[in-house]
Amino acid sequence: MSQNLTMSPDLGTEDWDPDVITRMIFIGPGAHVSEQEIVTAFHMLDLPLTIKNTCYGSMISGKSEDVYKAVEEIRKLDPNHIFTKERGFAPGDPRRCRGHRFGPREGFHQMEKEYRILGFVANALEERKDVKVEPKKPVDVDEFEKIMNECLDKKE
Amino acid sequence: MVKVAIYPPNSLILADLIERKGHTPLVLQKQIRQKIKDPEIDSPPMNITEEDPIKGLKYAAIEVPSGVRGRMAIIGPLIDEAEAAIVVDGAPYGFGCIGCARTNELSIFLLRNKDIPVLEVTYPTNQDETYVMVNDINDFIDSLEETGEEE
Repeated sequence: MSQNLTMSPDLGTEDWDPDVITRMIFIGPGAHVSEQEIVTAFHMLDLPLTIKNTCYGSMISGKSEDVYKAVEEIRKLDPNHIFTKERGFAPGDPRRCRGHRFGPREGFHQMEKEYRILGFVANALEERKDVKVEPKKPVDVDEFEKIMNECLDKKE
Repeated sequence: MVKVAIYPPNSLILADLIERKGHTPLVLQKQIRQKIKDPEIDSPPMNITEEDPIKGLKYAAIEVPSGVRGRMAIIGPLIDEAEAAIVVDGAPYGFGCIGCARTNELSIFLLRNKDIPVLEVTYPTNQDETYVMVNDINDFIDSLEETGEEE
């Protein structure tokens, strides 16, 4: 596993600039745009950004002002299905990029888990629906006893 | 604009819902970025330095394991900055990025004890529960706007 502890990477000036930020753009299930369309839209904005096409959407890196402007513009394409979040490391950083190390990227598992309910969140954003959910209760003792006895009787 | 702490601190859904309403989510990634862009750290993959457990003493006692204190050195400043908080309860094992159950407990405890509005939502498992969670979060954020205006 020593490969996972990458050497001190050789970083450029942009990587050390505290004003340079990275954001991940996620396309939720049922979106009306594709990953490629998003990347093309970013290019069309003509802002000084590093844009990376990924399986979940895309990743952009650049000066914070440009990044926030780009995110605002890109959200307009499909406001309810495009989600964004911050990322600490720049795209392709050898400390996180899978091209340089083994195993899934840190943060992938959380992303995978949240992606499962992202479609529901998009639906909830599209149209507000007031639903009532019954709180989950433990099984009643009498009911439990009944089921238990039924199972035991069946065994005999 | 209200600074809202979220739990788990790297959550995409929580951060996005807060940003949509024009507020600032206090996410862990920003803290990590500060760390990795710090030229004084010799070995950037090891993001915890020997200074961090000392900083963590502000949030946890000396008897607390250094792992918790080291983590609190990063999460603690976010809790200090928070003006409101949203916490997800009942999430499955492994949800979130902290990787330490005690740090999770301590962070949630500190958020609850702070005199700020805290919304606790249950981790949704189906569509109806997601509707409830999103509506609760949106209502909570709207209520923050109202209280901000009153002031």
